[in-house]
Amino acid sequence: MKKFFIALTVLFLFVFCACAFGAEEAKLKTTDQLKTERLAAQRGTVGQFIAEDLLGDNKSLLLTTYEKYTDAVAALRQGKVRAIVMDEMPARRFLNEVDGLAIMENALSEENYAIGFRKGNKELVEAVNKALAEIKADGTLDKIFEKYYTTFLTGDASSIKPEDIDFNKGAKGGTLVVGTEAGFAPYELKVGTGFIGIDVEMCAAIAKKLDRELVIENMNFDALPMAVSTNKVDMICAGITVTEERKENMDFSENYVVGAKQVALVRADDYEK
Amino acid sequence: MKNNLTRHDGAGRGNLVLGIFALFLLYLLYSSGFFTAAAWQDFNRRFYQNFIKDRRYMMLVDGLKATLFMTSGATLIGLVVGLILSVIRVAYKGGAPIPVLNAMANAYITVLRGTPAMVQLLIWNFTIFASARNLNTQYIAILAFGLNSGAYIAEIFRGGIEAVDPGQMEAARSLGLSYGTSMKLIILPQALRTVIPMLFNEFIALLKETSVAGYIGIDDLTRAGQNIQALTLEHSQPLVMVAIIYLVIVLFLTHVVRKLEEWLSRGRRG
Repeated sequence: MKKFFIALTVLFLFVFCACAFGAEEAKLKTTDQLKTERLAAQRGTVGQFIAEDLLGDNKSLLLTTYEKYTDAVAALRQGKVRAIVMDEMPARRFLNEVDGLAIMENALSEENYAIGFRKGNKELVEAVNKALAEIKADGTLDKIFEKYYTTFLTGDASSIKPEDIDFNKGAKGGTLVVGTEAGFAPYELKVGTGFIGIDVEMCAAIAKKLDRELVIENMNFDALPMAVSTNKVDMICAGITVTEERKENMDFSENYVVGAKQVALVRADDYEK
Repeated sequence: MKNNLTRHDGAGRGNLVLGIFALFLLYLLYSSGFFTAAAWQDFNRRFYQNFIKDRRYMMLVDGLKATLFMTSGATLIGLVVGLILSVIRVAYKGGAPIPVLNAMANAYITVLRGTPAMVQLLIWNFTIFASARNLNTQYIAILAFGLNSGAYIAEIFRGGIEAVDPGQMEAARSLGLSYGTSMKLIILPQALRTVIPMLFNEFIALLKETSVAGYIGIDDLTRAGQNIQALTLEHSQPLVMVAIIYLVIVLFLTHVVRKLEEWLSRGRRG
């Protein structure tokens, strides 16, 4: 019986200690303050690179990288980190669906998204660029953006069903295998056994132009460059920002999103405008 | 009474630990305001969001299918590989002139047991099978986990065989049976007694090991939970549900192992 009570006491002490941490900190006001704060980012994203630049020498101490955005958001809400550096649209989707979050007013940078290819895969890059230009010109792409921005950023996203997206099944030109990380709404999201999202519908439209069947491979974001360079997938499309560093290891299509902001997602009660 | 409390058999301690764990959970729930009506409603709403709406539980079911498929496939490969390796090692010890094979088996076991399964999985998928595009990724995972598990199973077999009293082999040989026959008829049946429960334990370990398969793009049970998280932006419920599913399977398997152990040790002296 004695042992039982000792074990219980130790457990309770442990819980008490875990709950007791949480000293008051001054509220965040400007993005300059982030230079000395605990930040989070998804591993391998541009958000991570920006956070590293912001923190400088402190990055090993203050930056936590997570495999999934949901983990980062949980860490933010629990106060393990004070801000997540991430793309604006997914941040706004979190804002729409999770209580108690805010986005800091000044953006940290502006980026362009493009589709990534294995270095030297010129044939496919040209074909995709042509298809991309066509869907840009006939308004298909704008319609896709419109559809997702209205549902994910302001309304209820469950109206979009994966079955409604035409993957061009049984096309004569073979398959077009696209690698993505389906936890990045509104760009890509796994719903049931299917996928939805701006990138998914855009790739479906491109696949149709190329007369190929779209196949989605859902991977971790930091595994995507590896997958495309080893030819596991034909191209990767996951809201991927074009950077000089990435250009050295892969080829990019024309941009399909220009001026996507990188923002700091914070807790609403921790932020003073 | 005192005797009862101080005895150190497995069941008594297990119940104590379970009791502490249950109290701890209750305390956590209570301290987080779980036992209020509003919290209960919120819990139900989130439960509906995570698992019921749009038949989202099917994501977990599909994930579970993938997990079980990978685990079973990997165990089969592991059994074959493990059997071959252990035969080589035991035969070499028994005097067979196969030093090269034995060295190879040793190297295999050292390397595959000495590196994490997840690293092996990544190497299989992105280096060795880099150009295999039309191959289902699950088969690559089965191969990676199976070969990894083979190294462990080889040691299980070898340990089982070596655990049989050497006098058994000596007696069989002195009765005029050949080495192979005495192995087949005398040693292996006795070795199975210790080996079979350990094989089940390896299966359980493998079941949990496959949770890293998400790294190469397989929507296994763990990854299915993460997919639900990404969908509903709810962090705790999907993961706890995934944990519960794993636990139920493991508890079931543990129960089977215990029954099996009882059955195998029937008629054993002492």
